[in-house]
This record gives sequence, C-alpha cells and structure tokens, in this order.
Amino acid sequence: MKSFGFALLSVALLTPVVSAAPVVPGFANKHPLTEPQVGQLLIGELRCTACHTSTTAPLERAAPDLADVGGRVAPEYLRKFLTSPSAAHAGATMPDLLAAEPADQRDKIAEALTHFLVAQAKGKFEHQPAGADEAAAGKALFHSIGCVTCHAPRGDDGKEIPRDGAVGLGHVPAKYSPGALSDFLFQPTRVRPSGRMPDMKLTPAEAKAVAGYLLGTSDAKGEALQPQEKLVALGREHFQRLNCAACHKLGDAPASKPVGTLEGADVMKGCLSDRPGKTPRFNLDASQRKAIRAALAKKPEPLTDKEKLAVTLVAFNCLGCHKRDDAGGVLEGTNEFFKSSEKELGDEGRIPPPLTLVGAKLQKVALKKVLFDGDGVRPYMSTRMPQYGEPNLRHLPDLFTTLDASGVKPVTFALPKSEGRTQQERDREKEMRAAGRELVGDQGLNCIACHSFNGKTPGKAGIELLTSTERVQPAWFYHFLRAPNAFRPRTVMPTAWPDGQAVQKKILGGDTDRQIEAIWYYLSLGTSAQDPAGVRAADTLLSVTDTTRTYRGRSSVAGYRGIAVGFPEKLNYAFNAETGTLSALWKGDFIRVNRGGQGSGGFNPAVKSVQLAQDVSFYALADEKTAWPLRPVVTKEAPANPDPLYPKNRGYQFKGYFMDDASVPTFMYLSGDVAIEDRSAAQTADKKLRLVRTLSFDAPKAQTLWFRALTGKVESESKQQFKTPELRLSIPQVPTALRPTAADPKASELLLKFEIPKGKSTQTLTYELLP
Amino acid sequence: MNSFRNALARFVFLLAVCALHPAPARAEDVGGRWGTEEREREFYPVVPVPIPKGMVIESGAYCLLPDGRMAVGTRHGEIYILSGIDEKKPDPKYHLYATGLDEIFGLDYRDGAFYVTQSCELTRVTDTKKDGKANRFETISDAWGYANYHEYAFGSKFDKDGNLHVALGLSNSYDSYALFRGFAMKVTPDGKTKALASGLRSPGGIGHNEHGALFYIESQGPWNCSCSLKAITPGSFMGHPASFNWYKYAPEMGPVPTAPKSGTRIVTEKERVKQLTPYAVVFPYVRMGRSITGFVVDGTKGKFGPFEDQMFLGDYTQSLVMRATTEKVNGVWQGACYPFREGLSTGILNVAFTKEGNLLCGGTNRGWPVRGIKPFALERIDWSGKMPFEIKRVTIEPTGFKVAFTKPVDTATGSDPKSYRLGTFTHPYHGGYGGPEIEKTTPVVESVKLAADGLSATIVLDKLIQGHVYEFDLGALRSRDKDELLHRNAYYTLNEVPKAK
Repeated sequence: MKSFGFALLSVALLTPVVSAAPVVPGFANKHPLTEPQVGQLLIGELRCTACHTSTTAPLERAAPDLADVGGRVAPEYLRKFLTSPSAAHAGATMPDLLAAEPADQRDKIAEALTHFLVAQAKGKFEHQPAGADEAAAGKALFHSIGCVTCHAPRGDDGKEIPRDGAVGLGHVPAKYSPGALSDFLFQPTRVRPSGRMPDMKLTPAEAKAVAGYLLGTSDAKGEALQPQEKLVALGREHFQRLNCAACHKLGDAPASKPVGTLEGADVMKGCLSDRPGKTPRFNLDASQRKAIRAALAKKPEPLTDKEKLAVTLVAFNCLGCHKRDDAGGVLEGTNEFFKSSEKELGDEGRIPPPLTLVGAKLQKVALKKVLFDGDGVRPYMSTRMPQYGEPNLRHLPDLFTTLDASGVKPVTFALPKSEGRTQQERDREKEMRAAGRELVGDQGLNCIACHSFNGKTPGKAGIELLTSTERVQPAWFYHFLRAPNAFRPRTVMPTAWPDGQAVQKKILGGDTDRQIEAIWYYLSLGTSAQDPAGVRAADTLLSVTDTTRTYRGRSSVAGYRGIAVGFPEKLNYAFNAETGTLSALWKGDFIRVNRGGQGSGGFNPAVKSVQLAQDVSFYALADEKTAWPLRPVVTKEAPANPDPLYPKNRGYQFKGYFMDDASVPTFMYLSGDVAIEDRSAAQTADKKLRLVRTLSFDAPKAQTLWFRALTGKVESESKQQFKTPELRLSIPQVPTALRPTAADPKASELLLKFEIPKGKSTQTLTYELLP
Repeated sequence: MNSFRNALARFVFLLAVCALHPAPARAEDVGGRWGTEEREREFYPVVPVPIPKGMVIESGAYCLLPDGRMAVGTRHGEIYILSGIDEKKPDPKYHLYATGLDEIFGLDYRDGAFYVTQSCELTRVTDTKKDGKANRFETISDAWGYANYHEYAFGSKFDKDGNLHVALGLSNSYDSYALFRGFAMKVTPDGKTKALASGLRSPGGIGHNEHGALFYIESQGPWNCSCSLKAITPGSFMGHPASFNWYKYAPEMGPVPTAPKSGTRIVTEKERVKQLTPYAVVFPYVRMGRSITGFVVDGTKGKFGPFEDQMFLGDYTQSLVMRATTEKVNGVWQGACYPFREGLSTGILNVAFTKEGNLLCGGTNRGWPVRGIKPFALERIDWSGKMPFEIKRVTIEPTGFKVAFTKPVDTATGSDPKSYRLGTFTHPYHGGYGGPEIEKTTPVVESVKLAADGLSATIVLDKLIQGHVYEFDLGALRSRDKDELLHRNAYYTLNEVPKAK
C-alpha cells in the first residue's frame, strides 16, 4: 500500500492566540497544510480576492446572501454586528469595515446599513419568545450528529466549553428568533452558499429542536424595525462606499474596482499591517498574518491536485471527523460525542470512516451520492455526513480518484456472463453463487452476524452487504477482505483469509481468490441473491389496539377477495367478499400478513380460527329440497374455473362497505334485487364475548331468501340455538332446515328461511366461539 | 455495435482499476448498466423524499390532487396523501387517508372520490364524514376473476369520456384460469364493465399517450421476447392466446381470434390473425429494462425539460426510468424508446409528475431481482435546468428516419453518415419464455440531411424492414458546444412505413 503522507504541520503553530481572530475550524486539527498553504486557504476564507485581484484564487468562500437578512436576523443584532463583527460574534470571518470611521459615526453608519438591509428583505423579522420546548431533543442532536466537530460542546449549564478552533454560538440568541434559526438550520446553504456551515440533514422538527436548545428561553424582546426612508438611502450609500457588494451580492449593487493585486503587494501594509489604517480589519492574529505573508511571498503557482485536496479537506473540516493518512481524525475532546446504536461494532460503528484511499475504495458515483445526494449506508452511526452543497465540492470526487487510483493493486474478477452461457459456464455460475451464499451465511464466514442482508438483520445492523458491489470498487473489496486491518487498524472486521490462507477449506477448495470472487459475485446478484443461511423473514403481525381494523387480502380462510375484521375485544372474523359469506372466526391476535418476497399481503388468522363454509350465503332456493349452490371446484389438476360467473349468476354482487364512527364495517351486497347490509360487532354480555351480526334488507318486493347459516357437525340445542363443536349460533325466529350437505352426507347444513317483506327489515344472529 | 460492446462488458469483467471508469459492478440477473448515472445526475438529479421512521411506503400508484398534494397508493393497501413533496429539501407530511385495501396499482381522483384499482376490484373510496379518513369503499367493478397467484390488476387514469381501464395479468406466465385474466377491461362512468382486449400476459401499467390513445406495458415472457408498449383498441388481441377461453363471456369482443402459430414473426402473423396488435414500442430486453411498470406522459409544459408529451416509464428490476415516444402510421401505433435515468434506490413500480413538474418515482424491491437495494423508497427526479444533449425523438420517414435532438448538432459530425450507426433485429413470436434478437441487419445510411438549426437530422436508408427494431448508436455525434450525447442509443420499432407525400 502506497503511503499518502502529507507534510504535517504542528497544530500548535496555528492555534489562534487571540480569540477574536477569525476562526477556521479545520485548523484546529492535525492538518497537512504548510504555512504558505494555510495562508492561501485564509486568503480564500477571508475573501481577500473580493477586493484584490489575484492570479491564484484558491477555494473562495462565498459570503452569505443578504437578500433577506433583514427578515431573518434581529435588527439590533445586525446593528451590533455591523458596528463590530468580532465584538458581536467572536471569531467572525467578516472584517470590521467601520473601524477606521470616526468613533461617533460608527453607530450611525451601522444604523443606516441596518435600515437599508431591512428595507431590502421580503420577510419581516419577528421577535418570538424562545420556548426551549424540545431543548432536550435539541441538546441530544447537537451533541451527537456532528455539530460539536466545529462548534463547542456545552455543559449541563448550557454554557459552551471553550475549545480552540470552535466557532462560538454565544451570539445566536441575540441574532435569531426560533423560527428564523430553525429555518436556517433546516437549509443552511440556502442563505450561506459557502457550505462552511453544512446541511446536517435535519428534518424541520429536528431543526426546531436544535434551535430551541441553542436559543434557550428568552422573552420576545426587541422591536420591529420600521425602515426610515432617509436612513435606507443613507445605508445604500454606505453599502456602496464600503464596497459590501464585493462579497455580498444584493440586488444590482455593483462592486467597486479591485484595489490592486495581491501578488507583490507590501505584506506589511494594508490589511496585513500590524497597525491597520483605513482598510477592513480582519483581526488577524500573528500566526495568521504570518501565514498569509508566507503565501504571498511565494511565487504564485496553481495548486497541485494533492494540495487542492488538502486545502479542501481543511476548509470544509472533513478532517474534523475523517482521518486521511496521518492527518485529521476525531479530536480527543469531541470523541465522546461520536455515538452508535450498534455499540458492538466498536469504533467502526461510531467514528466516520477514514478517507485514506477513499478514491480507490468507492466508485465515483457512490462518492457523489454520499457527497451530494445525502446518501449513507451507516444508519447506526449517530454522526451524519453533512451536505456541503454540490457547487462547493464538485471537484472533490475527481481529486480522490486521481490521487488514490494507484493505491491498490488492480484485480481481475472473472464473473459469469449473464446470457448465452455454455454448460460449463452455467455450472461455474451455480458453483460461485452457492459458494458465495455459503460463505456469507452463518454456516460459513457468518458475515451476517454483523452486517444486514437485504434489509434483514439477524445479528448486528452493520453496513448492508448488498450495497457493497454498488459502492465499492472490486480491487478494494478484494484487498480489504483479505486484510481488513491493513486498511483499518483495530477494526472489528475479522479476516477469513489470514496471510492469504482461507479459513474455510471446503468451499471452492479453500482458494482465497475464488472465495472472494464468489462473495463479490453473490452480492452482485443484489436482491435476487437468495438469502444466506441464518437470515429469515417473518410474516408481519397486524394487531388491533383501540379501534376496529379492516384489512383486505387473499386468505385461505376467506378466498382471494377476503376481508379480515378485528375488534379491540380481541374477537376477529373473516368475510369472503366474493360470495358474501362470514367465513372464519377467531379469538386473540388479529392476522399475520405475508409482505415478504413476492407476498402480496395475503393474510392468515394470527391464531387458529374456526373455519365456516365459503359458498354463497344467500340464495333464492326453489324449495328446501334443492341443493345449495356450491362454489366451483378448482384443483391443481383442473385449475381453470369451470363456472367463472359464480356467484354472480346466483344473484350475488358485492357492493363494498362503509365504516361507522367506531370504524366497524358494514358490508353491502345484493342477492337478486334485495340490497343487504351486513354488520357484525363484538359484544360482551354475561361475561361472554360474542359476535352479533345484523342483516338489514331492503327489498323492492316481498320474497323468500334462504340463508345458509352453518355447516359441519351441526346440532340443534333449541329452535333458535345451534352448535358445532367449535361454535354456538343463535338465530332469529324463522323456519329452518337442517339437512345433510350434498358434498358430505355426514355433515349437515343449517338453512334459515327469511321471508323478506317489501321495504326494510332486519335479522340478527349471534356467534359464540366455544372453548 | 453497441449491443456487442455491452455484451462484451458483461462477458468478462475486466477490472482495470481505472480512475475515470469504475468497471460496472453488476453483470448478472438484473443486467448491465448503461453507465450513464454519473453524467445524468448533472441534468436530472435524484432527490430522496424522506419517509418517516417506522413507516413503510411501497408505492404502486400515484395521483396528483387538484390542490397540489400527491396521493400515494401502496402495495400494503394504504392511501397516503403527501403535502410538501416539491420542496427543494422535501420533508413531506404523510396523511394516512385509507387503509385495508389490497395492493393498489391504479389511483385516480374525481369529484371528491378516489378510484382505486386494487387486486380484487375497482373501488370508489370516499370520506363522507369529511374527517380526512376514508370511510366508504364502494365496489365499482369486480367483473373479473381473482383466484391465483400472479393475478395483478393495473388501473388507468380516467380518459376524456370518464372511462377507467384495468389491465389484468394472467394466472401465471402461461395460463388463464380465472375469468378475464389476460384481458383489458373498460369501466364506463355508469359502472358497466366491458372487455376491451385479450392476449395480455403480465401488464405492468396502463395509461394514455399524449393523444389520449390507450396503451399498456407488457412484460417479457411467453409470446413476448422483450417488454413492450402495446396500443389497446376495442377487440384487439395482444399476442398471448391463453385468454381465448373467456370470449364466450364477452360477446363485445366478437369471435375468438385465429390461434397464433408459435415460432412465427408478428409482422406476418398479424396478417393471419386479424385482431393481433403488433408491439408499438419494443424495449430490447435487458438493455432497456427487464420489467417495465407504470408510465406517465410529460405534460409539464417544459418544467421537466425538453421532453414534453413523451412517456416516462419505470423499470422494476433495473431501478431506472426510460422515455418513449409514439406515432400513428397507416393507422398503426409505433415509436421509440430511449434511456433516461438510472441509479434509483429501489424497484420502480410507478411514476408521476408532481405539481411543480418533477417526476416522482417509487416502489419496492422484494420478490424479484432488483438493482436498487432499498426495500422501498420515494424519490424525485428534478430537472436541473441544464439542457442535456439527447436524442429527443426518432420518427419514421418514407425512406428512413428523422432524429430530433435537444441541442444543435455540429455540422461536421451531424452531416456525416458514419455518425449514424444503425442495426436492426426482430424477435420470434413464440410461446417460449422470452427469446433472442434474430435476423439482424446493418442498414446502410445513404444520406443525411442535418437541419439548418442543427436540431434534427433526416437519414435515408437503403431499405426499411417492417417488423424490425431499429437500434441507433449515435455516439459519434457532437453538439455545437462539443457535448457528447448523454445517451447514445434509441430503439425504434418499425411496424409501418408512411407513403411519400
């Protein structure tokens, strides 16, 4: 492995001495920049080139968008900040532009500028009281998602624990209202395009919580500022005169002409003078001045790729979390704030991965997804990969790939082709697929003990294995598997091929290269890779809590057009909507649903159920001798439906259902011209749980409809009470017929004869499950 | 040819750890990649639409509501209504409107009611209490059998006359065991259901093109060597004869068609089987999707870029979106398909345009091979505003093709016949599962006329072969601003040749 060691500069050299000096968090870490490079970075961060021409403009930090600053920042803060940026916000990179003005004028100029800025804003700043409602959640987020890499962590008293290189946030309560701050935190790059304050992928609710925490409780003090025309005009003049537009685009205000080139400038004068005069004052400390002078002393040359990368990693403080070669990495003081929901994964689970050789590790498209699209594969890691905005880092993926490409030795995998294979190739493909699966599974190398597989997590929820071939370059995968420790010292990832020798001797003859190739191939099958041993998908249990639940899907107990209804009383039934039949009852948990694999969401009762017949329930029998119209029989041998219009040709048509206020469904269907509403509900009486079924009829004329109420081993207990071994049914006072079924003479069917009057009528049945 | 190049890339995975071209990672079941994802993102970035923790959204159908919110029907049988989906950094609110339905693959909204195509039926879903929760589920049509694994139902949007259309998959790849499986049905505003077409195998979506003509997307399998768009007209037969047994229940379909012969060509067989409708657009298998699903027409008036009035189609297996254009020649629909955007996170089941003209895509990845590894996802494809250099549209001419571009083509490459590399093939029409590309030819480009504005080129070929798919590889073209084509390929299915004017 080739080393990419940077020339390291001691941290001490650049530790700011005066805290009011502009803060660049990336300098606080062990970084790879030489002193002139530090100077160059500062030139970009402080935007020296906004006023000076320069032939070598490094990364230039875009200034905040001031279009709506008067709407999102408190006017009194604006005034204070403009009077003296570093007094309002220690460490601000904005220079003091009024320092050279007569003391009695400064406040007035700041006032006029404030009026001008407020007048430009579309929105109006509203003072709101800060509630600190979600402060606890905000505190937890602030101290876990990565904020403390650049900002100081806070003690229990809410006070910042000062740290060199940390951007202080003490000014925030004076600056923002809760709404304005959470808007900013939700999308910081919208108003600060530089990306130095990155998007931390906060949801609006999270942004609100963090804002609540940072603001603490405060009254909504401060008054709305009504911009006065005179002051606005005066502010506009100052805005021009002070050349604010050089950094901040605002409307069509033009920037002044450049004030001379940086190269060859007198580095002891102007902004760099120890005793600055009329120039903007940056409050540079001695080391910063020295670094900029060193940069300017050098003959200007374009940065090499390596230098450009180094400058980028420091400017965006990537090195605050990531190590690359010997530079960067989590600081001792912030280490405790890097957390994981998978503690067993050790530091791999909580510390962002090293960037050493990352250009050889990740496919470029994967790099871009992480950098620009917010993609991530480590859901267990509490620290989030910030989003700096694509325009700021567009150059980074290319730099990584160019610099790292030769870092790992190329590898050739001979993967089976996808089509037109010969028999030999087919055999080889099968062998590779099986070997890969065995190696990944719990009978092989048990990768799934720590990694998720296709969304399933039998052990720890480490990186989803199926992302591997999408993200990682094959050569890196090969070398990493052979020797994880060479890439990540002390990693919890074991090697299955110590010294290149396979531990699993039986698979693929113990051939290391073929085993790794087989794992790659198997993982490249993606979701079509059959689950390895040790991974199982369970059906989803649906439960009923406080309201009745209705669920539609195919079911062995209710047909393809099945509907399950569960009551909070833990009584459930299934309705076959194809035939209009209550077809199963059960007590206890509701249903299990098959939503894995190709499962279409079909359901089964969560516990054993009592199965009833599924043929049509209502029929206008000619007389009580006529056989009941049964469902057509479809078998494996004769799978085509021989009577495809059943039960529509028996007068049945399902019409749907509606819910009442308790979410109890009433099914609607027709039997001939009789409209039937069919509602069942759980009822407890005499300590017995029953299902009470109300059938409401609406008939255009009086007629007879037979109802098949029960089948099986039906016994009569009384004229209005019948039972099977599993169920007791109470029926209304109507004529009945209990007769052997056509299919099985040992079984009987209970038919009820409903004389349905013209207009509306109802009948009630009660089902009771027997113990 | 490009196909050869791809095949080679798939053949042996030669891994030069090359800085600029990381070798394609997946070769196998889901097919090779186009390899264009990295460039596509500059023009059409994919924006993830976050789904709250603990919520599963396996979306199968979308419907943009009049107020700009987006309704999402899921395989779990829920309807969610999402607001704020178009925000730059979306964090939509998910309102659960309805539950308990059975795999939603069709969703439209009219006069305060949702019309839901679920596996078991077409249902009108309403909220009569006006509390934001559906409480009434009325059966509009269940005039088809539903009794076997694989019997999916896909629903269209309303057509201009208020009809809805339902495409019904077979009972498995080969058979139709339950009533009307393998049929497309029309449900009229008065609730009557009529059979419209037979011969479907396993539809993935149904809808209209920009002229209001009805199409469905068919999956590769028996009688279908590739996925394809097919035009549905009353009484037509889509090629898979398993559904012939239900004609007796559908007198409106007329007599049972002559049984097609396996091992023929559709171009000749359609002369014998008069109801047989040829594929309007063939999507060469693997290169252009493996299981294409829902589609939508770009009616965003330019908000989504230069592809107004074109179809956008999702693919489940390859987690990507393609384009298609159609034209009617001598009364027969035909057209072309084009790569558009790959690299989505899950298997795409459907697509829809949002109010702001972004393309919402989503689905799930379970059950079948899928490239995107997220078990479910919602993503938005936005147009960045940058104009990609693309083949905009290929149309037929009496002696060749007209190829339109999104940016002017430079004269040097655009006027050179060598820049237009074409190949053709056809598929056997047979009952076997899938099938090869056969009878390949290499047409001779006799002349090219690049339009003065550089935005189109008319090419004259030595001959035009009906029943062939014309495969364009225009990788040699450069735009006037020296851009390479974002996607170099297009595939035109030639059924009919227009007469010279």
